[in-house]
Amino acid sequence: MKKRQKTRNRKSQVRIPFPTVLACFLVFVVVFGLSYLWLCARCEMLGQEIKQLETVQRDSRRQLNNEQDRWSSMLAPASLDRALKRHHLVMHLPNEQQVVRVRSGTIASVTALAYNK
Amino acid sequence: MKYNGRTAATSVVMAAVFVGLGVRLAFLHLKPSPGTLARIENGRHLEQETRGPRGRILDRNGNMLASDVAAKHVCADPKFILENGSITNVCDALVSRFAMDRSVVWNLLNQPDRQYVRIQKFMREEAIEPLRAMNLKGLIFEDVPIRDYPKGVLGAHVIGYANYEGVGSAGVEQRMNTLLQGVSGLRISQKDGRRHEIYSQRTVDIDPQSGADVYLTIDQQIQHFSEVALDNLNAKYHPAAAWAIVQNVRTGEILAMASLPTFNPNRFNTAPAEWLRNRTINYTYEPGSTMKAMVIASALDSGAVKSTDIFDCEDGAWHYGGRILHDSHEYGSLTVADIIKKSSNIGAAKVALQMGEKKVYQALRSFGFSERTGIDLPGEDAGIVWKTERWSKLSITRIAMGQEVLVTSMQILNAISCIANDGARMRPFIIRKVVSPTGELLLEPQPEVLNRPIRPDTAKEMRRLLARVTQPGGTATQAALQGYLVGGKTGTAQKADLVNGGYYSHKYIASFVGFLPVENPAISIIVVADEPTQGGYYG
Repeated sequence: MKKRQKTRNRKSQVRIPFPTVLACFLVFVVVFGLSYLWLCARCEMLGQEIKQLETVQRDSRRQLNNEQDRWSSMLAPASLDRALKRHHLVMHLPNEQQVVRVRSGTIASVTALAYNK
Repeated sequence: MKYNGRTAATSVVMAAVFVGLGVRLAFLHLKPSPGTLARIENGRHLEQETRGPRGRILDRNGNMLASDVAAKHVCADPKFILENGSITNVCDALVSRFAMDRSVVWNLLNQPDRQYVRIQKFMREEAIEPLRAMNLKGLIFEDVPIRDYPKGVLGAHVIGYANYEGVGSAGVEQRMNTLLQGVSGLRISQKDGRRHEIYSQRTVDIDPQSGADVYLTIDQQIQHFSEVALDNLNAKYHPAAAWAIVQNVRTGEILAMASLPTFNPNRFNTAPAEWLRNRTINYTYEPGSTMKAMVIASALDSGAVKSTDIFDCEDGAWHYGGRILHDSHEYGSLTVADIIKKSSNIGAAKVALQMGEKKVYQALRSFGFSERTGIDLPGEDAGIVWKTERWSKLSITRIAMGQEVLVTSMQILNAISCIANDGARMRPFIIRKVVSPTGELLLEPQPEVLNRPIRPDTAKEMRRLLARVTQPGGTATQAALQGYLVGGKTGTAQKADLVNGGYYSHKYIASFVGFLPVENPAISIIVVADEPTQGGYYG
């Protein structure tokens, strides 16, 4: 009986040591791999976002150019003439009596003249 | 479990296949052939070159005259459309939007072996927006920049145009092409199996850069008034062509430059070549009496005559050198001042004879005739003043009245501006400044004195004499303005018959060149009408 118990104790004493280093290494590899994948996905997402913003910027710039061009076209003297005609507005250049000529050194007196008129 | 021969054979074949695939895979990964590598690279490689937009062209006050705008090519994938069975819908939509011939569109779309055809080129975004809204499958809208001239015909000959490749081909567009042209952008990257760019594989990413903005000395309003004036002249006198220039006499800046017939730079390819011609700088003609101003200015400056000297104008017909020289009216004796005022050919010829051939030739050269003025536009002509060795006995009398010489309007105007500017001849220029997209000043031409053909006191006296031309009794009373004293000279030149020699009796070039105000000149103007056919032909 004693001999039998002794054998059992010896058996229970034989233990496989836990591979701590290997486990740490494996955990590190897994964490590293997951981080890498997460960063990749994040980069890809940011890349997509940048591309979308690039498209938005390009489109906005294009739209701005087109609008400036249209505005410029509307301000063309010929367009303004047509608009005046459409609204039955007749404009004349000022005649001599309506012109106040400002020459250097005479601004004060001319202003006074203009007020008097 | 027993294995029979069939099972063994199948296993062997399967094993062989998998081994073969494994070997192939190993070769592809470990030692691919150069051809295979290149094929893979080509399939993945993405290289996009984007054209940098051209810079803008603006007038002196910043009004936009030319700019790049976004347009689109309307293209289609006929194979996809036919497989989709939507050819009728797509064809109807294209025909209704672009007013195209249905059979043409149908033939373009009905090509089962093609995946790309171009239906319409350079369409403005607003024009294709309804078509895009229809969301028709198989239509492709390609981005493409297009040069637009928002003011239409305004200043067409000055601005010129850029062709569909974005290269300046006339006017300022051509002259300033290197600065106006943008820098192309480049993107090198890789694409996935769905042909989408893999952003992380982008190795080169250079943004396209816009070209520089070019500011002109032109004033939009003055340009418009000049063009309206030419339209009125055209309606009244029906000339074959007409042109005008307005210049700042103190600096040489060109404020307006117009030429008829004109064209719309937005549709430059539809205009006849003759309409594209900027006659102000590349049409040479015999100027007629406007030349008398320069000859008499030189005669006064050299001391050959005084303004009060009297010349016998032979009652309108003078026999000299075997030919008879006529005046338009019969004049007896005229002072030099009156020779200018009445525009006497005989008087001008006698003044030139008093100067002598050498001095007349030198005077014309010093006023810039027979050489380009140096204006910053392409295609300027130099004109012709023959050397005195080639002159006949009659030449000096004919040159004094503006025959036997070929000039451009720009030369005549610049010479008159020289008289208005106290004798200093300025280089005419049309580029005010060039500014980079970042706001850096790249170019700013400064007023440049070319030479001084006459002294300031002579110039002052000439201004006084030219002011009399627009006064009662002068030849240009119609040029007088209320509130301003205008100086100037008319010219009516018979056109030379280049085929038979001599001059046409019924073809004239009428012109007026002047400046104002005479007391302190600010601007000079030349207006020329080529072959006016009704309502008179005098300058």
